[in-house]
Amino acid sequence: MKPLSLYIHVPFCRSKCAYCDFASFPGREGEWGRYFEALWGEMEGWRDELSDREVATVFFGGGTPTLVDAGYIEETLARARRIWPFAPDAEITLEGNPGTLTPQKLAVYGRAGVNRLSMGAQSFDDGLLQSLGRIHTAAQIGEAVRMARGAGFSNINLDLMYALPGQTMAQWRDTLEAALGLGVPHISAYSLIVEEGTPMAARVARGEAVVPDDDAVNALQREAVSRLAAAGLARYEISNYARPGFECRHNLVYWNRGDYLGLGCAAHSLVDGTRFSNPATLDGYLSGARRLDQQRLTAADAMEETLMLSTRTTRGLDLAAWSAAFGAPFERGREAALAKLAAGGFIEISDGFLRLTPRGMQVQDAVVLELMEADE
Amino acid sequence: MSYDQSRIRNFCIIAHIDHGKSTLADRILERTGVMKQRDMTDQVLDSMELERERGITIKSKAVRMPYVAKDGKEYILNLIDTPGHVDFTYEVSRALAACEGAILVVDASQGIEAQTLANVYMALEHDLEILPVINKIDLPSAQPEVVKQEIEDEIGLDCEGCPLVSAKQGIGIDDVLEDIVKNVPAPADDADAPLQALIFDSYYDNYRGAISSVRLKAGSVKVGDRIRMMAGNREFEVTEVGAYLPLGYSPKDSLNAGEVGYIAASIKDIADIRVGDTITLADNPAAEPLPGYKPVLPMVYCGIYPADGADYESLRDALEKLRLNDAALSYEPETSVALGYGFRCGFLGLLHMEIIQERLEREFDLDLVTTAPSVVYKVVKTDGETVFIDNPTNLPPVQEIDWMEEPMVDAQVITPQDYVGAIMELCQDKRGTFKDMKYIEGGRVLLKYDMPLNEVIYDFFDQLKSRTRGYASFDYELKGYARSDLVKLDMLLNGEQCDALSIIVHKDRAYPRGRSIAEKLKDAIPRQLFEIPIQAAIGGKVIARETVKALRKDVLAKCYGGDISRKKKLLEKQKEGKKRMRQVGSVAVPSEAFMAVLKMD
Repeated sequence: MKPLSLYIHVPFCRSKCAYCDFASFPGREGEWGRYFEALWGEMEGWRDELSDREVATVFFGGGTPTLVDAGYIEETLARARRIWPFAPDAEITLEGNPGTLTPQKLAVYGRAGVNRLSMGAQSFDDGLLQSLGRIHTAAQIGEAVRMARGAGFSNINLDLMYALPGQTMAQWRDTLEAALGLGVPHISAYSLIVEEGTPMAARVARGEAVVPDDDAVNALQREAVSRLAAAGLARYEISNYARPGFECRHNLVYWNRGDYLGLGCAAHSLVDGTRFSNPATLDGYLSGARRLDQQRLTAADAMEETLMLSTRTTRGLDLAAWSAAFGAPFERGREAALAKLAAGGFIEISDGFLRLTPRGMQVQDAVVLELMEADE
Repeated sequence: MSYDQSRIRNFCIIAHIDHGKSTLADRILERTGVMKQRDMTDQVLDSMELERERGITIKSKAVRMPYVAKDGKEYILNLIDTPGHVDFTYEVSRALAACEGAILVVDASQGIEAQTLANVYMALEHDLEILPVINKIDLPSAQPEVVKQEIEDEIGLDCEGCPLVSAKQGIGIDDVLEDIVKNVPAPADDADAPLQALIFDSYYDNYRGAISSVRLKAGSVKVGDRIRMMAGNREFEVTEVGAYLPLGYSPKDSLNAGEVGYIAASIKDIADIRVGDTITLADNPAAEPLPGYKPVLPMVYCGIYPADGADYESLRDALEKLRLNDAALSYEPETSVALGYGFRCGFLGLLHMEIIQERLEREFDLDLVTTAPSVVYKVVKTDGETVFIDNPTNLPPVQEIDWMEEPMVDAQVITPQDYVGAIMELCQDKRGTFKDMKYIEGGRVLLKYDMPLNEVIYDFFDQLKSRTRGYASFDYELKGYARSDLVKLDMLLNGEQCDALSIIVHKDRAYPRGRSIAEKLKDAIPRQLFEIPIQAAIGGKVIARETVKALRKDVLAKCYGGDISRKKKLLEKQKEGKKRMRQVGSVAVPSEAFMAVLKMD
């Protein structure tokens, strides 16, 4: 049976963070029930079309999936299991906010089969947390992790953010230390992107917030790589670090272009070589629109995606797999670009893989652009 | 009305820009009834969109207007419109040669301006009767008496009883028309002599082919006649002759001496009709052509390339179409290592160049990359051969050059007294040689300089404008060539020379120019994976250097929830941007960078 990954979007939050431009809609608590009914209906609609699949991973993302009544999560997983068989070792991740976890909820998640928790810690500096508009404190992160452990969860991720306005290297080191001090096996460290239309962007535009320059951001990022590596968490993707065996299999599906079905509002899917997505707004989704922007991927699309996604990982681009999939060696027509990039220390090719060096990863977009087109 | 030379008045209107020439022309058309008021758009004669927008006349046109004067007789008034810009001086001069009189429009508040004088002198050269008209008398700042005095003092024209008008309000238009009838001499041309028709304009009509606008100075011409272009030395059969209406043609049986009109002869190529040439009959030719013909020589050249190489054919078609109506535009295919396939285009001047570039982008929807304009240099080689160079890339190697010459202009600036210092400084900066300074009416000063054309085309207008807050006016005329210490300044990107960025410059200016271009390029070229040294060099010697630092960070941190659409869009955008950049060796250079050479500070 072909593996399938499920992404389930929970578009609810208690409040919107200053930097957030994801599909999340605070103040819509009254619509939880309606939303999940719709989502279950959508899932049911795939029963016939996507039979003969085994669920390998599930990821509840948001929004804040831990905000809604745990029963919704439990019921969603139960219904999924009635449609597809789950692999015995299926990875089931629930994303959440440290401030919204309770022992009661955790008990329900565990019972429902959730075996991985991903918490939006972001920082262990209360001042920075506040400026980001987070609803939790540094202390609550520790409590949440201990609470999760108490409920039997050991596979825990903490999301951290750097390149925050006003963030010093010392603060970032403290945050890394605090996260490592909690003994979690997985950390995601994202550089802040100031998105248009967010309160953060307005603050930056007004000069109230100053984001660090590229060199400072690179220094923060290098600090994460070395500190986390020293603690046994190796970088396996541009923003992701894990102890061996704790890499997020669900996210790896995205980067390896495996099949995934996104359910709920704003969810994206790649199924059998076609990409599509659901309406980005809650209202759009509730109105019943589904599977928008369908794009049947051409070979050229697939090549472009393979290049831009695989080079995010430290495993790199599998040259033999490329030849097999696209009928020509990756290197053909790219000799000059590859030589130039290798000489510049941006890439290396070994054991049949093309990998970006740490330096290359800092400029991954530009490196990919150089390799995008092969000369005839 | 039958043909009677004594009832014909051929005239043009001359004025400084903005003094209301086009508006007065509109009122005259309206008053004589050839245009009904409801048909009038503002400035009928300026039919090109660009002309109306810029308020300038690019091509000349002619209109025939019947007019019953106060003496009860019917006259034929031929208004010949003339271009108003120094780039088109030759066309103005041909249009003037087709007239017996000129209405000189002077703004009642502004008084005489640089172009007023230039036009008057030109009209006097053609022995035209000049009829001053004071316009814009409705403005609160109008001082018609002061301006009249100024005209009498400075130009020596009698302003007694000259029409005081407001073209805008339609005041005094009748006076102008009566003035024309009374004071513009009727033509006195020999209708029985062999045909001599002066071509004062040409353009392309989709149905009739290339058309000559003519003034018959002798003889007559009719459909079926075999005509000969005396300078062009080609023959054609006349398919149609007639007079112009404001918005069309009025075919006639024949055109006779003294008349103004058009001749169509199924001519496919506009280049066969040269403005200033004389048309005669093949089987009864005139002994001599009319005087004054000179081939139009482009003064300014630049490379025009499609931003997207795939548009090369479209660019060629567009240039071909523009060329149909503009014999002064020249173009030759050229290739640049940096820019690929494009054209080296020749223009009458900077405005002409800007207009063509704008029309290409606007009317043909093309995205262009243009190189810095260059003048034509004369190079005398050590082997004695003389070559003319319009593209710096083609300059022979230094060791083969004995000496070089550059085109010089007579430059004339009229400015309020306060700015004399600033202008002298500017002209000095531009390697000008002071010739003369004269105080004229109204606290203004006329300055004359000899100046290299290559300094005029480089940022002179903008500087003049900014240093005199727009009060000074400028006019120039090509004077000839002068020996000069010139060098080729090359730009190197990452050690590779970029041909499209080379310029020829005076040795003394090379260092600051090189430094300024390097700085401009540094800002125009985006950071790339590798550091990019930018060097300005003369021969092999580097005279300035800048560096575009390597890209430090360019990565999307997160591909959330399997939504890779953003990342894809970003890459598409970058790919698109890359396509619009030019590859110079290993460096991607955006189109705008090639214009960096143009700007001073």
